[in-house]
Amino acid sequence: MSVRGHTLEVLAGAVAALEVERDYVNDLNVYPVPDGDTGTNLLLTVQAVLDEVRAAPADDLAGLMSVVIRGSLMGARGNSGVILSQIVRGACESIAAAQAFNAAVVRDALRGASEAAYRAVRQPVEGTMLSVIRAMAEAVADTPDTISLPALVTTVTTAGAEAVERTVDQLEALRRAGVVDAGGYGLLILLRGAVAGFLKAETGSASAAPVTADGSDRRRGRATRHIAGIPPDALEDSRFRYCTSFLLLGDDLDRTDLERFVNGQGDCALVVGGEGLLKIHVHTDHPGAVLSYASAHGTIDDVEVADMREQTRARRRRLSLDQRVACVAVAAGEGNKALFHELGCEAVIDGGQSMNPSAAQLVAAVESLDAAEVVVLPNNGNVVLTAEQAAAMCDRRVAVVASTSLPAGLAAMVAFDADGDAAGVAAAMNETLDHVRSAEITHAVRDSEIDGVAVREGEIIGLVDGHLTASGDDLRAVFGEVVRTLGSQGAELITILTALNGCGLTVADLQDAAAAACATDCPLVEFLFQEGGQPLYPILIGAE
Amino acid sequence: MTRLTLDNTAIVVDSTCDPPPGYFDRPGLAMVPLKVNFGDESYRDGVDLSPPEFFAKLASSPVLPTTSQPTVGEFTSVYAALRRDYEHVLAFHLSSAMSGTYEASRRAAEAFPTVEVYDTRTVSATITLLVERVRIRLAAGIPSDELHDFIAHFLAHNHMLFQVPTLEYLRRGGRIGRAQSMVGDVFGIRPLITVVDGELGAYAKVRGERRALEAMAGFLREHSQADDAVVLATWSSDADDKLPALEEALLAARPRSEVVQHGRVGAVVGTHGGQGMFAFAMIVE
Repeated sequence: MSVRGHTLEVLAGAVAALEVERDYVNDLNVYPVPDGDTGTNLLLTVQAVLDEVRAAPADDLAGLMSVVIRGSLMGARGNSGVILSQIVRGACESIAAAQAFNAAVVRDALRGASEAAYRAVRQPVEGTMLSVIRAMAEAVADTPDTISLPALVTTVTTAGAEAVERTVDQLEALRRAGVVDAGGYGLLILLRGAVAGFLKAETGSASAAPVTADGSDRRRGRATRHIAGIPPDALEDSRFRYCTSFLLLGDDLDRTDLERFVNGQGDCALVVGGEGLLKIHVHTDHPGAVLSYASAHGTIDDVEVADMREQTRARRRRLSLDQRVACVAVAAGEGNKALFHELGCEAVIDGGQSMNPSAAQLVAAVESLDAAEVVVLPNNGNVVLTAEQAAAMCDRRVAVVASTSLPAGLAAMVAFDADGDAAGVAAAMNETLDHVRSAEITHAVRDSEIDGVAVREGEIIGLVDGHLTASGDDLRAVFGEVVRTLGSQGAELITILTALNGCGLTVADLQDAAAAACATDCPLVEFLFQEGGQPLYPILIGAE
Repeated sequence: MTRLTLDNTAIVVDSTCDPPPGYFDRPGLAMVPLKVNFGDESYRDGVDLSPPEFFAKLASSPVLPTTSQPTVGEFTSVYAALRRDYEHVLAFHLSSAMSGTYEASRRAAEAFPTVEVYDTRTVSATITLLVERVRIRLAAGIPSDELHDFIAHFLAHNHMLFQVPTLEYLRRGGRIGRAQSMVGDVFGIRPLITVVDGELGAYAKVRGERRALEAMAGFLREHSQADDAVVLATWSSDADDKLPALEEALLAARPRSEVVQHGRVGAVVGTHGGQGMFAFAMIVE
């Protein structure tokens, strides 16, 4: 594979690993400010680099490294992102000068990375990303040029993991919260992902398993031990309110002068970059003053001002949630909604065919619950995508079960378990969907042809998995045909959600019709009738 | 080595072992009743109130029954009486996680060096199945250490599974154990409950009668090998009509097996399980 291909795989590997760990790293984040965004910041910074490299034409080592350096500087987000950009810079400047890629290059790159990181921070604090990158660099500083790359990588990641573990004792804020440093941990994850990406580029296959598996095991072990134990209110707010960062472009930027000014405006100040482009980061109460001073020296761009007090509150809220899974379902009809509640669904919002809820409604429903993890049952094909969007917008772990009908959603609900984790519970619920068929009986809204059969407006139609199976003027007959079809195709249990108002039929009529329809072809089928009350569909059917 | 036989060894249980009618009326066997209270009326389980009488009363009573364990003194008099005719006494009680009965029996037994009291970590007719398997060995005569090995094997490897139409009684009596968050009673769900580490635990939530029976047979398969001759017991509260289909499903799953006993849920277990419960116990010997 080419240098460019390798670079892309390394970055993609880092992004993939950080994506998996982002929420966890966010939860770990208590220092320097418990604003819960370290995971997101690291991920977005690396993602920005990946995007930059994808867009750039460079395919030689030196050219690619300068794209990476610039991309990380421009894309750096938050305190951890800016420090990461300096680690990247130090490493890439060293690699750019290399003739071949080998263990010695990595060793030197780590030294460069560590030195650049320490240079960027005015008053380096131990127990942070800085300690982790330095430990990794020092672990291999004295190795000979002949050491193999795998051996070197193992030494580096082991040293990194140990350094991460040590952070909990190095910083008072971490010791009190009982967590390792978020940035340091994120850096280790990033490096592991990058190594996995490199291996993938070398072998051409995704044999990254050992690296990621290790990473997620650590996450699990920690997640229960540390996160559960974090006292959300024992953490102090930042002295300053706004995390402020921006790019400053100009010909004669006086870095020293800017650094002096920014340092006077708050803490966690970082002024990095060079050659006409600086990245400036500071925690301050006066973002306007910083921006206005800087804008007198050059052009400002990519301004980001985040209210850390609000972020801290959000993180605190997230961590004080109940460590359990709750369920949000979308349903229509009083009977169906009551059924979801009885099956353990804590929030049921109105919606269904032709009345889809918005993503905002779903987000509000999720956030009204005090559970740390939530599964969402959309119960309609048109709502699945909205649910996915809502899941991405929520401040907690949300998994969507791909239920496309009410009967399917109810069947999935039986597999719901509040004591799991959202992803696992959703997987079990999705698994039941594989064994459920859905049918619906309704009136044709206009003259049309469905699956090659002409139907008149107002005619009763029975659809099984979306396909026309029976039609006619007699609801009982159409229902019987649908049930017989499902039964003779192997259904053991048929659930019927009724809304018979105005149909002139009773549930008892349907029970007779079902028994008669199945008497010959499928006498062992069991039926369960529930008053569903859904609009538009006198009968909804689930078959398992 | 001491050889244990029906002549020198007696067995004591409490009434939560839900035996077939008359089982403990024979020599060398004693059942100490727990009590069931309907308001101010107190009945000795299986003595003053037979299972059919209890379920009739449960259906008609305006108040829900409560239960209470035997006293230490009640066990003491049983042990004292048996010790006159038997050198050895084995006592088997329902899980100490569900009742203080074991503890009362153990304290009574402190005064009798050859009374051995077991916390079976299970409940209901599974305990009578154990008694029956022990008696078969006593009838043939068995060295003491071999019988102890067998009891240890049974306690470690037996399983039971039951189906209840509602979790209401278990929940109300506080006996639902680890099945606390299980949903039953709605949408045709048939809760399948097992015993794990001496407490009730959810095995599965299954909808539909046939599928529930299939899941019960699946439980048997999970805990045995294809050619095992599994020793089975089946029993119910007031739902014996469910047992033929259950046994058919179990024997289809493990054809070499045999149902050796049919218990009956008594008043105390019935108080906590309610009507319509049916169950099986299994041991691969």
